[in-house]
Amino acid sequence: MFDEKDMILEAKHITRKFPAAGGRTLVACNDINLKMYKGKTLGLVGESGCGKSTFMRFLVALDTPTEGEIIYKGRDITKLKGEELRQNRQNIQMVFQDPSGSFNPKMKIRDIICEPLLNFKRIKKSEVDKVAREYLEMVDLPGDFADRYPHNMSGGQRQRIAIARAIALEPEIIVMDEATCALDVSVQKTIIELIVNLQKKKNITIGFIAHDLGLIQSFAHQIAVMYLGNIVEILPAEDIDKHAMHPYTKALLGAVFDLNMDFSKKIESIDSEAPSPLDAPAGCPFCDRCDRCMPICKEKRASLITVEEGHEVACHLYTKEA
Amino acid sequence: MALLELKHTDISYGKRLIVKDCNLTMNQGEIVSIVGESGSGKTTVIRAVLGLLPGGGKVTNGDILFEGETLLNKSKDEWRKLRGTDISMIFQDSGAMMNPTRKVGDAFVEYILTHEKISRKDAWDKGVEMLERMRLPDGNNIMRSYPFQLSGGMRQRVGIAMGMTYQPKLLLADEPTSALDVTTQAQIIRQFMELRDEYGTSIIIVTHNLGVAAYMADYLIVMKNGVIEDQGDRDHMLHQSDNAYTKKLLDAVPSLGGTRYV
Ligand SMILES: Nc1ncnc2c1ncn2[C@@H]1O[C@H](COP(=O)(O)OP(=O)(O)OP(=O)(O)O)[C@@H](O)[C@H]1O
Ligand SMILES: Nc1ncnc2c1ncn2[C@@H]1O[C@H](COP(=O)(O)OP(=O)(O)O)[C@@H](O)[C@H]1O
Ligand SMILES: [Mg+2]
Ligand SMILES: [Mg+2]
Repeated sequence: MFDEKDMILEAKHITRKFPAAGGRTLVACNDINLKMYKGKTLGLVGESGCGKSTFMRFLVALDTPTEGEIIYKGRDITKLKGEELRQNRQNIQMVFQDPSGSFNPKMKIRDIICEPLLNFKRIKKSEVDKVAREYLEMVDLPGDFADRYPHNMSGGQRQRIAIARAIALEPEIIVMDEATCALDVSVQKTIIELIVNLQKKKNITIGFIAHDLGLIQSFAHQIAVMYLGNIVEILPAEDIDKHAMHPYTKALLGAVFDLNMDFSKKIESIDSEAPSPLDAPAGCPFCDRCDRCMPICKEKRASLITVEEGHEVACHLYTKEA
Repeated sequence: MALLELKHTDISYGKRLIVKDCNLTMNQGEIVSIVGESGSGKTTVIRAVLGLLPGGGKVTNGDILFEGETLLNKSKDEWRKLRGTDISMIFQDSGAMMNPTRKVGDAFVEYILTHEKISRKDAWDKGVEMLERMRLPDGNNIMRSYPFQLSGGMRQRVGIAMGMTYQPKLLLADEPTSALDVTTQAQIIRQFMELRDEYGTSIIIVTHNLGVAAYMADYLIVMKNGVIEDQGDRDHMLHQSDNAYTKKLLDAVPSLGGTRYV
């Protein structure tokens, strides 16, 4: 499905452990292997707390993995330092899940959007106002917002400021962590059309974390499904509802609220609680909640196997030993 | 008597009039969903109900009544008694509301102690119980964590656990599931419905997920640019409304197997 020569970034065996209360260890990412391709979008979905943001933060060097490497342009970017690290920030940009925390509250919107452009000497001071207005309008906000401060805005407006700032640098890879979840669907559509256009024009690569499977399948090329720190399935985004194999992926698809659903029906969802990442089961991470759980699932973790080109699944239902 | 009534309510930030002539009547046990444009004033309206408008925000016209009494001139003390017990709010971003330097447990215990005279130990246990009822596994570990150590969705569930502690008569929920995965969202929505069915809790939910809004609501409100642009029951709003903005929103809802851009 993808040409290996278009691979732009490869995460190899990424593991991240955090120390937790009582001397225990929390494994937020467990041996993650993912590839990103030029001009393509990788969607990442999964339970809140499963490690999606933790993983994506490595791409912009906000954190370093305990083990593993991320190869970009032939270099392991988890080891970059100093000026190299700074320069690399132009290439990979991230829009955060909670943008409020990444804004300096004393700066006006104009300066927030243009700060990275000035830092990398892409524009002159005199151009700031014009450029800021241009990007504000791109994300469907009035140009006058350039004069405001971030706290005087609604959640969805702040989210769009963060998007404007990230795309302004025209990075090669842009990571969006639940970047449209606070937008109304009509504005969300505008933003998706905007980034898809950018992608087509500039051939950028997008990493997109979201919970809305309908949204992700509308513009991603590939979707990775994560559960308790593990990738359990990777599949083409088109017709995900028809091709999903892993019971967790299917559970996700079954929990979508849709306008065409039967509103009188009781909500069905997995009843049980997700285990804490502190005591993930020894076998398959999903085994305690899976309605197809077999004895082997409790003992042994299935590794990802390729079932079709571009489709991998980690589940004993589809491995030969079972 | 209605539980909550907004009468010709105007709300401004400084000199800017943000919400214009908002009218709403809600009875015990009803659920109202508010959807609409980002920046249209949804958060502003529900914050006004809870007397928690940010600095410079003010109800400049009309009235807000809770059980027939105006909420507009309540003292700090009266608010302390109302908030959390009679009216409770779950924020758009519970994470940002939490003090990053304090552990979740300290905040939760303090919250409980402002409402009940019980021992710290009992308050702690009650906090753990609420967290576990909101399906946060290992409540003790969460109580001992700092907010930044939790994922966005987990922080949100902590906020929901706090808001539900005292089974309020009116629950205001501002995008409570935007940061949650769909299975957790389904559980939380079910929990809201159970609160209504078992305790008669009235709920105002602001959400961008029109599926969730429609599933939950007895009544749907669409806001745009500071005014209630359209309203009605579910069937009307989904199938019969001829309001152009409502139609535009319905049209933009992404769906499985729907349009693809690539
Ligand atoms: N503290 C504030 N001071 C001044 N203006 C504000 C403040 N908070 C919000 N606003 C403005 O008031 C309007 C309504 O904001 P509000 O937060 O109520 O919108 P919303 O409908 O909740 O939007 P969203 O869906 O993006 O959360 C927006 O135009 C916003 O820019
Ligand atoms: N700085 C940190 N210290 C300790 N634990 C953390 C830290 N950041 C994240 N975690 C833990 O790692 C897990 C994954 O978190 P996160 O990547 O934010 O999840 P997601 O983005 O998938 O919702 C969670 O259990 C979270 O509590
Ligand atoms: Mg996250
Ligand atoms: Mg809001």
